[in-house]
Amino acid sequence: MKLLVVEDEVKTGDYLRQGLLESGFVVDLARTGLDGHHLALTGSYDLIILDVMLPDVDGWRIMQSLRDAKSQTPVLFLTARDSVEDRVKGLELGADDYLVKPFAFAELLARVRTLLRRGAVPAASDQLQVADLVLDIPRRRAERKGTRITLTNKEFALLELLVRRQGEVLPRSLIASQVWDMNFDSDTNVIDVAIRRLRAKIDDEYEPKLIHTVRGMGYMLDVTDSTPSQ
Amino acid sequence: MKRRPVSLAVRLTVSIGAVITVVLLTFGWIIERSINNHFIQQDVDELNAVLQALKHTVATLPDGSRAEDVRAMFASAVSGHHNAQYRISTPAGSVVYATPGSNLARFAKISQPVDQISVDTVSIWKDLNETYRGAVIRVPADGRAGLERLTIAVGTGIDFHLHYLESFRNYLRVITAAACLIAIFLTWLAVHQGHAPIRRISRQIGRIKSDQLHIRLFPDAVPVELAELARSFNQMLDRLEDVFRRLSDFSGDIAHELRTPITNIKTQTEVALSQARSVEQYREILYSNLEEYDRMAKMVGDMLFLAQADNKLLKPELVAIDLEAEVRMLFDYFGAWAEEREVALEVSGGPVSTLGDRLMIRRALSNLLSNAIRHTPSGETVLVQLEKMAAHAPSTVKVLIQNPGPAIPSEHLPRIFERFYRPDASRQRSGEGAGLGLAIAKSIIEAHGGTITVSSNDAATAFEILFPGHN
Repeated sequence: MKLLVVEDEVKTGDYLRQGLLESGFVVDLARTGLDGHHLALTGSYDLIILDVMLPDVDGWRIMQSLRDAKSQTPVLFLTARDSVEDRVKGLELGADDYLVKPFAFAELLARVRTLLRRGAVPAASDQLQVADLVLDIPRRRAERKGTRITLTNKEFALLELLVRRQGEVLPRSLIASQVWDMNFDSDTNVIDVAIRRLRAKIDDEYEPKLIHTVRGMGYMLDVTDSTPSQ
Repeated sequence: MKRRPVSLAVRLTVSIGAVITVVLLTFGWIIERSINNHFIQQDVDELNAVLQALKHTVATLPDGSRAEDVRAMFASAVSGHHNAQYRISTPAGSVVYATPGSNLARFAKISQPVDQISVDTVSIWKDLNETYRGAVIRVPADGRAGLERLTIAVGTGIDFHLHYLESFRNYLRVITAAACLIAIFLTWLAVHQGHAPIRRISRQIGRIKSDQLHIRLFPDAVPVELAELARSFNQMLDRLEDVFRRLSDFSGDIAHELRTPITNIKTQTEVALSQARSVEQYREILYSNLEEYDRMAKMVGDMLFLAQADNKLLKPELVAIDLEAEVRMLFDYFGAWAEEREVALEVSGGPVSTLGDRLMIRRALSNLLSNAIRHTPSGETVLVQLEKMAAHAPSTVKVLIQNPGPAIPSEHLPRIFERFYRPDASRQRSGEGAGLGLAIAKSIIEAHGGTITVSSNDAATAFEILFPGHN
């Protein structure tokens, strides 16, 4: 997967590139709007991450040119100004998603993966399986080691999200937004409580542990024993 | 660009000057007319006196008088009216008598005889550069002195009057013009003087700098017309001072709130770098920093939101919102957390709805609910009551969020919605946010045209929200 990052802020650009590289993407970094404009139109990318506040050619222009050229490359734009006008403008110009600075890198990664997955046809399977955990989606049932586990609706939704995005770190805000439709930060530890309860049901009495806390970032479901934070 | 309106002094001067001019001109015209009428009346009186004397003479002509005698009688008939002249002729046109040097022949010929002499019947004519006023009258003589009927033409020279009127008119013009000019100048002076209090207020206002917003004008020390201006200006200053104070408090608070996490990060990083450490320790420090960054990022986000609300930039996208469904959804979200704190959640009241931005309303209710849950002792219940206020004219819905718990001291209640305000100083920074949650809730509710109030007693604390209703 090849990404283009257009970002004039040196540190931000460097860390975006490093973070994305380490997450397994091929990354081109353009440090000026002009370079970004050129690369976006001539290169072949799976996704473009675009800062809209650029000194020379701003992000809106690049997005406009891309859409004029009938490019279908998904665009995620970064903005420092959390104004409704900016968001509306970006989305009207054909951006696929946006993040307001400062953002959590895990959040960016999750959004990038969502956008990249959008094109792919999701496996229309009724069953999801990770190790000995099996989810029966239509009947909303979960089993571990063959034992049926009773979950509430939201617990099931949370588990389904974690399983579907196995191996990805999911920030709390993303979990709140996907499972409860709460699109803002709450100053409570609601998500931690929900995860703790889910763990009690599917992890406490079983090995290997599936749900992992990634400190400072969020939660991840995976089979590996060696998790980044432990 | 629109043209600047004409200055007040010019407006007043022009209008008052115009009025004065019109008044003076009218006055002059009336005087002139009345003098003229007076002259005419004088002339008419004189002519009538002459005529009466002549008529008397005609009536007393002795029979058989000779023409010389008749002439002599007519010549001496009138005395004392040196300015008047007359001409007596027969219908056939032969002159019986004419005042010596008189010019009445042509007038007597062309003028229509009248029945009596009055202001309306006299006429004016000119002859040999002299102007006369006069009339022609027929008088029966009943055959005395051989005369059957006589035509009497009387006239009086009026050049003297006309000259007087002409010079009076000129005099009047000069006087009027001078009076107008003086009046206009005095008006301008008076208007200018009259504006002095305005200039004085303006100078006072000009002296108020941003650090002297406590200065007020004295409405009692200005003319009554300006008192209202002074009062409204003072009210504006009140509002400005309040906003200014809150803004400066706010920026002070921001600095203070940011200083703590920045100090944490800085100290921690400095200590970490002071000697070589294990990878585990470095990771621990970075995680700790990450938590501080998160807190700062969230605070900055919240403050930006509030700044937008302050600048009236919050533009709710209005849709019909079922508040009961929203509350139940939030209960669902907070459920596990509340259960862990052994706090029960309960909603009562029918389905009520309002127009609002779903995300914002949810955020406001979420902040209030999490606040309520946090301050409820374990084993107790947070109660949300929804109610449609039937009595209110524009339909209103009430949301009451009530939690048992110790009373909030009354001195804290009015300030509870202020930014960064935490009634319990010891609970500061115990992981429950920056103290912006209630401020945000209030901003959102007010952006929706609603109000929020708080009350607290020993039994419970209640937040009462009123939203405009929606059917």
